Amino acid sequence: MAILPFDLSSSSLSGWAVWILPFIAALIIPAVAKISKRATGGVAVAFALASAISAATLLPLALGNNEIHNQVSWISSIGLKAGILADPLAIIMANVVGWISFLIFVYSTGYMKGDKDITRFWFWMTFFVGSMQLIVLSDNFLQLFFGWEGVGLASYALVGFWYRDKKKDHVGIEGRKVLGLVDYYSPTHSGIKAFIMTKVGDIMMLSGMFLIFAFAGTFGFRELTQHTEWATEMSTQHLLIPAAVLLFGGAVGKSAQFPLNEWLLEAMTGPTAVSALIHAATMVKAGVFLVARLGPLFFALAAIGINMDQFFEVVAWVGAITALLLATQGMVHPEIKKVLAYSTGSQIGYMMMALGVAGLSRQFVDGYTAGFFHLISHAMFKASLFMAAGSLLHIVGSRFMTDMGGLRKYMKKTYAFMWAAGLALMGAPFITTGFWSKDAIFAAVYESGNTWALPIFVIALVTAVITAFYTTRMIGMVFFGNKSKHVENMEKEGHHIHEASASMWVPYGILAVLTIGIGIIGLSFEHEIHRIFTDYLSTYFGIKSGVGIVAIESQSVLGGFLNGVNPIALTASLAAFGIGFGLGYIFYIGRFADPVKFVNSNLFFYSVHKFFLNRWYLNSLIYWAFVIGPLYFGRGVYRYFENVVIEGFNTGPQKAVAVGARILQGTQTGISQSYLYVFGAGILFVVLLLLI
Amino acid sequence: MEHVLLQAVFLPLLLSPVAYFLGKKSGPNAAAWFTFGLLLYCTTIMIVPVFSGTYEEHYPWTKLFGEFGFLLDGLASPFAIIIYVISTVLVLFSKPYMVAKITSQFEERMNRQKQVVGDGSSTAMIESSSLKGYLNHQIGVYFALFLVMAMGMLGTVLATNLIEFYVFFEVMLIPAFFMLAFWGYEEKRRVALLFFFWTHVGAVVLLLGFLAIGLNVGSFNFADIKEHGIPPNILSLAAVAIIIGLGVKMAAFVLHIWLPHVYRAAPTPLNALSSGAMLGVGAYGFFRLLIVLLPGQYDHFALYLNLWGLITMIYAGVMALMQDDIRKLLAYSSISQMGYLMFGIGSSSVLGLSGAEMLFVSHSLGKVLLFMMVGAIILQVGTRSITKMGGLAGKMPITAVCAFIGALTIMGIPPTSGFMAEWTMFYGALQTAIQQGSTIRMIAFGLGLVATVITMAYILWMIKRIFFGKLPEHLENTKEASWYVTAPMMVLAGFTIVVGIYPDIFFNQIIPFMKGVMGV
Repeated sequence: MAILPFDLSSSSLSGWAVWILPFIAALIIPAVAKISKRATGGVAVAFALASAISAATLLPLALGNNEIHNQVSWISSIGLKAGILADPLAIIMANVVGWISFLIFVYSTGYMKGDKDITRFWFWMTFFVGSMQLIVLSDNFLQLFFGWEGVGLASYALVGFWYRDKKKDHVGIEGRKVLGLVDYYSPTHSGIKAFIMTKVGDIMMLSGMFLIFAFAGTFGFRELTQHTEWATEMSTQHLLIPAAVLLFGGAVGKSAQFPLNEWLLEAMTGPTAVSALIHAATMVKAGVFLVARLGPLFFALAAIGINMDQFFEVVAWVGAITALLLATQGMVHPEIKKVLAYSTGSQIGYMMMALGVAGLSRQFVDGYTAGFFHLISHAMFKASLFMAAGSLLHIVGSRFMTDMGGLRKYMKKTYAFMWAAGLALMGAPFITTGFWSKDAIFAAVYESGNTWALPIFVIALVTAVITAFYTTRMIGMVFFGNKSKHVENMEKEGHHIHEASASMWVPYGILAVLTIGIGIIGLSFEHEIHRIFTDYLSTYFGIKSGVGIVAIESQSVLGGFLNGVNPIALTASLAAFGIGFGLGYIFYIGRFADPVKFVNSNLFFYSVHKFFLNRWYLNSLIYWAFVIGPLYFGRGVYRYFENVVIEGFNTGPQKAVAVGARILQGTQTGISQSYLYVFGAGILFVVLLLLI
Repeated sequence: MEHVLLQAVFLPLLLSPVAYFLGKKSGPNAAAWFTFGLLLYCTTIMIVPVFSGTYEEHYPWTKLFGEFGFLLDGLASPFAIIIYVISTVLVLFSKPYMVAKITSQFEERMNRQKQVVGDGSSTAMIESSSLKGYLNHQIGVYFALFLVMAMGMLGTVLATNLIEFYVFFEVMLIPAFFMLAFWGYEEKRRVALLFFFWTHVGAVVLLLGFLAIGLNVGSFNFADIKEHGIPPNILSLAAVAIIIGLGVKMAAFVLHIWLPHVYRAAPTPLNALSSGAMLGVGAYGFFRLLIVLLPGQYDHFALYLNLWGLITMIYAGVMALMQDDIRKLLAYSSISQMGYLMFGIGSSSVLGLSGAEMLFVSHSLGKVLLFMMVGAIILQVGTRSITKMGGLAGKMPITAVCAFIGALTIMGIPPTSGFMAEWTMFYGALQTAIQQGSTIRMIAFGLGLVATVITMAYILWMIKRIFFGKLPEHLENTKEASWYVTAPMMVLAGFTIVVGIYPDIFFNQIIPFMKGVMGV
């Protein structure tokens, strides 16, 4: 470890502060609420800001490729320590989480104004951010798992925040049925669904953790990198790949990847600020972060001759499948928050795809940078989009896009910011972060040289087309065309459609502007991350990058400001944007054709539409197989085994005694003669015995 | 201080008449606070020696049985502390609950008499004064029995002698029987008999094993038995007797027949006491009698215990999903959690065993919290049927929060003690599976983790149906429970989080002991 240019103790203190401060806020908020309920928001925002600033003070460390690894004793009886590991990866992530959470908190003060359960809201929001920062800064699996379950818990509590289950807080379309199951969920139901589904991932992760701990005897990330005997031993027993995949299972659950993706949609029952937090800064990013934490660790094992390709293939494919699966569903759904949720799952799929491909390619750092860069840009534009969507919901009072329409004249700021963030999601060329990060992923996949590169590349491309389409569709349905009946009715009733308050539009405005601002310098921003990660990976994991294997090839093709960009990836992403945006423009902005008529025009489109709208039937199948089926089975066991067979042990002896008593009772006749008879017979019997 | 453990065990027994007379003369408050103070004193004097390592006391007894001793080592101290802490806080919780219960029983009886006599108006004055007398008498009896029960449980875990163990083991059943028969619900007499019958069957089987060991070894003292070893011809007989006897107490699958009935009929404080402490005494028996005294037999039976525990945890978890009466739901949940304990007991590894003991601690805290929630709801709402509840979180916020922390403890979610218990336990199971290269154990480990998902499902579903959703109209006027209920809940909820973050409080005693036992 190089000599730090800072006072070590103070920077390690700010490392701890990043995650402890939000927890302190969570602890004092109930007390503050006793004095003033309105003050809770201020306290939460102040602590979020303090936490974000602490994270920012660590940034110079990351730029200088230094790290803080600070440990304290924890469970001394097992010899486990707690600690923070603020390496460049963690520091960048902590800043993303911290600052975006701060903006969302500011937004929430406006969004949640006047809610009578505001104390609970702030308690869980700060708890959520604290848990996420704990994940980011933990130096070992066990401590990370505390944060891991913490975000699960907080999401359960916040998704089910409106626990009274009023009709307006449900998601889905009332009365619609898929495979005999209603597609309409209450907040508390959704909370449980989110918690249990992610728990399925968590138990996989636990098993993976335990497997590694059983061989390595440590949970620490740095210790696992420094001594690799455990890996050799595990791979000879064929347990290493299963353990790695099990660990990835945790990420699949948290990041809502296929096949544990279904909870994410119902998580929309929470307040929109919560959705923004879950989708942009916490929860779903935790899974990506875990893969980013573990990817280099496993990839570096190649140096001692252990091939982890299978693990990375699983990661890449899960990402690719999810990206396509959720993007297709996002095309058809009428609820704005659900469209954004589908989009999140799909974009996370991109990140996973990039991280997986990284491990399969010659240039680990390319894919790694691409995945992480996309995480950053997605965090910005998705937070912005969600908050803007929250404003729309707030003003219009409906979650359906069909209830909006023509709003661009009334909510000009929201309209502009949504375009900016939306363009980033679509990957609009050259000026948005989304374009550069998506392009980096395309390039990483294309250049990886793996056998799977081509199919994954095609999936990525198709997904990009769809993404551009559904984003255009969303903006078109909300802001263009005529006012919907719902809006007209509102105006008749005297409600005035207007812009949201400043505490709401400023946060998403900032992020939208940032998306474009960083987008303009996108390529150099990417190069900077690339440089940080190249140093990081080679210093801490010994992963050397073959300098310019690919970069040189592309240099000869593209010069100027596109220096170093892969031309094929560039063409592909330009084409994808063009096609998707064009189609979306025709149907929803220009309104040259009616999409409803188009879908109903022939059976093929109709059935594809229905298939997507029914979520590929995955959700219903999961319910049948893992909820309703087992409940039927359990009821059968309860009725016929527990209450008959097992209960028989109680009633059996009882009946036997009762029957026995009745027989004995029969002998108690009370007639002296019969007693005498028996008495005589007895004497005779004894005498006979004696005689013989 | 001298004779600390003797005091801690026998003061409650000797002073139980005082509790009765205080109740009779001065009413429920006096009796409750006296009992509380007494148990608090006993808890404190008992906790002090824990920090200085193993602590023993020996007293002469009859020649026939050996000596009468108390041993507070790394195994016994978590059990002892939890038993008395739970008992102490439950005293406060019992007061409002039992007053309400006894009053309603009195009214019921009066109504019955009224129907016979057919005249109600003139007896109102007499009724109120006779209610007071009746209440004071009954509550006195209750607290006297309560003290005896607490003392019986503590004695069992401190015993150093088979006969002593057996005596205390039986002593704790008697007050439970009477509490059930006096203040239970519905078919309380029948269920009390059922309870007594089954637990007695278990105890007698256990006694057979004890006699076989003691008569063959020539001493009933644990230390002597350990030293001399048990003759091989009775080894497996003794082991099977112990496993079955304790299996009944722990309500393992098939032997759990008595438990759901008892929990449905028993008054809630008894439920809490028995689930939080009494069932765990069975687990303690496994550690002390099987693992320490019969290590060879333990190795032989470990895998079967592991699998038996697995079946119990999954089966009872599924049964819990089917229940509508909250107490029956929690009854099955207790069975399931005892399955976890047995799973850990069968893990044959230091961390697995430590986790199992930690799970006792955590299950006690969590389950007592949940039973207090049930008590609070019965007091405030008057129903036990989950379908008649809903939306109570807004009406009873403190109860809801504390119950939720209890629920998290049962589910094993950090930062509650449940997670610390479960991860060590499951890790221990996996470790053994890897070391032995045993596929069965590996599968059992995986299914055990699946059982945690089932646990989560029934607990979250219960919480949802009780506290969330639409508030039914008849619950519109529900109020938060009194401080007698909420304050103990807050104490336990805080405790489970402290243990969850800093488990060394218990691990420091448990793990060195388990290392010694497993010879690591």
